[in-house]
Amino acid sequence: MTTPVPASVPLVNVAGLSFRYRDRDTLAIQDISFEVPAGEVLLVAGASGCGKTTLIRCLNGLIPRSYKGELQGRIELLGQDTASMPLARISQMVGTVLQDPERQILGTRVLYEVAFGLENLSLPRDEIRERAEQALAYLNIMDLRDRETFHLSGGEKQKVALAGVLAMRPRILILDEPLASLDPASAYETLDFVRQLADEGMTVIMIEHRVEDVLRIRPDRVLFMSEGRLRYLGVPEGMAGAIDTREVKLPASQIIARARTEPPEPTVVPLLQPEDPPSAPIVRFEHASFGYEPSLPVLHDISLDIHRGDIVAVLGPNGAGKTTLIKHAIGLLKPTEGRVLVDGRDTRQLSVAQVAATLGYVFQSPSHMLFAPTVHDELAFGPRNLHHDPAQIEKEVIHALDVVNLRGMENDPPLALSFGQQKRVSIAAVLAMRSRVLVMDEPTAGQDYRNVLDFMDAIVQMPGFEAILFITHDVDLAVIYANRVLLVSGGWLAADGAPRAVLGDAERLRRCRIVPTSLLELNLQRPTSAGRFLRAEELARAA
Amino acid sequence: MLVTWRYHHRPKSFVQSLDPRAWLIFFGCFLVATVMTWDLRLLLPLLGVALFFIFSSRLTWRETRRAWLFITGFVVFFSGLTLLTGRGGMEHYTVEHVLAAARAPFSLFGWTPTLTVSAERLMFAASMLVRVFSLASMTILIPYCINPAQYGVAFRGLGLPDKFAYAMDLTMRFIPTFGRDFQLTMDAQRARGYELEKLEGGLFAQVRKLAPLLVPVTIHAIAGSEDIIDAMDLRAFGVQPRTWLLQLVYQRRDQILIALGVMMMVAYTALSLIGFGRLWVPEALQAFPVLGG
Repeated sequence: MTTPVPASVPLVNVAGLSFRYRDRDTLAIQDISFEVPAGEVLLVAGASGCGKTTLIRCLNGLIPRSYKGELQGRIELLGQDTASMPLARISQMVGTVLQDPERQILGTRVLYEVAFGLENLSLPRDEIRERAEQALAYLNIMDLRDRETFHLSGGEKQKVALAGVLAMRPRILILDEPLASLDPASAYETLDFVRQLADEGMTVIMIEHRVEDVLRIRPDRVLFMSEGRLRYLGVPEGMAGAIDTREVKLPASQIIARARTEPPEPTVVPLLQPEDPPSAPIVRFEHASFGYEPSLPVLHDISLDIHRGDIVAVLGPNGAGKTTLIKHAIGLLKPTEGRVLVDGRDTRQLSVAQVAATLGYVFQSPSHMLFAPTVHDELAFGPRNLHHDPAQIEKEVIHALDVVNLRGMENDPPLALSFGQQKRVSIAAVLAMRSRVLVMDEPTAGQDYRNVLDFMDAIVQMPGFEAILFITHDVDLAVIYANRVLLVSGGWLAADGAPRAVLGDAERLRRCRIVPTSLLELNLQRPTSAGRFLRAEELARAA
Repeated sequence: MLVTWRYHHRPKSFVQSLDPRAWLIFFGCFLVATVMTWDLRLLLPLLGVALFFIFSSRLTWRETRRAWLFITGFVVFFSGLTLLTGRGGMEHYTVEHVLAAARAPFSLFGWTPTLTVSAERLMFAASMLVRVFSLASMTILIPYCINPAQYGVAFRGLGLPDKFAYAMDLTMRFIPTFGRDFQLTMDAQRARGYELEKLEGGLFAQVRKLAPLLVPVTIHAIAGSEDIIDAMDLRAFGVQPRTWLLQLVYQRRDQILIALGVMMMVAYTALSLIGFGRLWVPEALQAFPVLGG
């Protein structure tokens, strides 16, 4: 696809780069300098807000052309200073795949989406068609050529977005969290393509929180950022000793090695423990099946119980039916065959509001639900809808604020809070309704490793819930926090049981497109009598 | 629930085989011709044209049921109101011939409510019904029969600048995304006990109670638009006139359709200018007694 260039020539040369956004007082990035030669994969890592995205916007020319502010320092691409270059020219040197392919894909059909950049460059039609089809063929997605982009899966959208960028034949490829919305198998397929591109001479700069996954394709170097500054630039092997291992997700062996040299952290023990024997189920699926259209079933013959004390992780590939399953539990969907019972009552006879008193659902993005002018009003919204007594609502709001540690922020507008705080408001909204079961869809997607652990530690130690249910692509979340795992594949319940029993079957995981992590493998190597799985820091002490 | 654009490919459908530019030009001509006349004799051929396109489009009752029910309800209600009250027709006639009248068996402060059906009101209501039904029928066909991937290039072909034409493509692209975001927010709020169907109070109170839906959807759309703008900038949109990969070529049937559309528009405009577009009342109906005479 790309013209090979000598590996010794730096395609990217950044010197003394600093930037401050026009409406901010502080610098977003400070004094960043580095070079990237042809054919190198540079992994850019760091916690949320560390300046990664700003750095990428400087490289691809959006700063200062679309995002105004004070820019200092110099950026050279292919040996040319970009300061006076138009964006159209930079876009032919640097291709950028944004984090959310849903928003990046502009064409209604795959071919027109891939051709979009070439059309803007006024190339002849024959050349556009040829280059677009070459890009599709290169990524093995020629079969998608005439499909509508809206109906593609997450992994397919990622590839189509990549094809649209590759068709412009850039020498440098920037990927902004390309794995954020992909299941493990799709993520690995994307990473394999990235490695292939680099091996053919393209320079790849990849932002990613899932460092462990990216290390699998042997990035040449890692650039680690913190508070707008470059903290580490070097080979991946040296990173663990130079950074805080809680800021990015490293292989378990590296975390263990580091944890052995540090004072032990307090162990997080979930408040919820499975009951023995279990009491009556809170939620029961009895041979439940469902399809949006009769000829296209999405769920097949699901039977399971959710009991008090369960912390259930729902795993499965994109499009497996995980969200559809959860929507049945909270009454948003009703089964076309079989039934779903909540506290012994058929959800067909219950409104969603009635089910909400038992199961509270937190969506992936808090911005899909937050609307009120203050945090207090946001939390009171649910209890008011459930017709709780006004005096009772005040108590529930205060209790919820205390649990999520947001007291003092009652009068703040929720939409002005940080992403992490918004997440906590969305949990508090469920707590305020006195829902007994917390249901979460991808609770940690797009968050850095430190935030993931802090958030989930807080959730499993939160009083007030009788069970927790969460959908995730992150196998380690299931390993660390769940006491039960549901494996969903193709609309079927492929497995239901204790984490060791479900995640220990490598062949079944492969069939369900689940890729074992190093933490899971280390846990599985421990004796089966060891009880629950341990996080890496606990493994360091256990060893 | 999946939200998608209404277009469905129908093999051998005449309307879908047309160049969208030809269809849009014909639609414009049809629109002008229809608004030029109130004469039922001239409106009936236009209704025939609309019916021809509907039946040749292979639309099914199932997929268009909501649209038809809405239009039928709308047209029948307002035509009935026009028939009974004479609203909107006063400028088209000065004399009314009474076909039937019903007086209330009581008086209010000396005034006796009377319901009058005149020949003029009847013809005006019938003309309005045919007019609105013809226009609405042709309009329904647009989302179902124009390929969403062809809006941009069609409007570019009709002379709009690249930026405006591509905005049409973007609209088609993001309508399903917007619909899905709306559904997500709806689900999120329903899971918090919000019940849209139980909104109470006056108009303003009801709008205010829609805030749990409207605020997140709006905020999400604004936040998402930043990514869309970045994606366009990063692929050099708007820096120079663009090539449109999809190339539309007029076929013989498209040229004939445009010619027919233009002839129809010119003919109806000419008829209107020489006085044939006015409200028509059959002579037989003018034999009835004059209102107030």
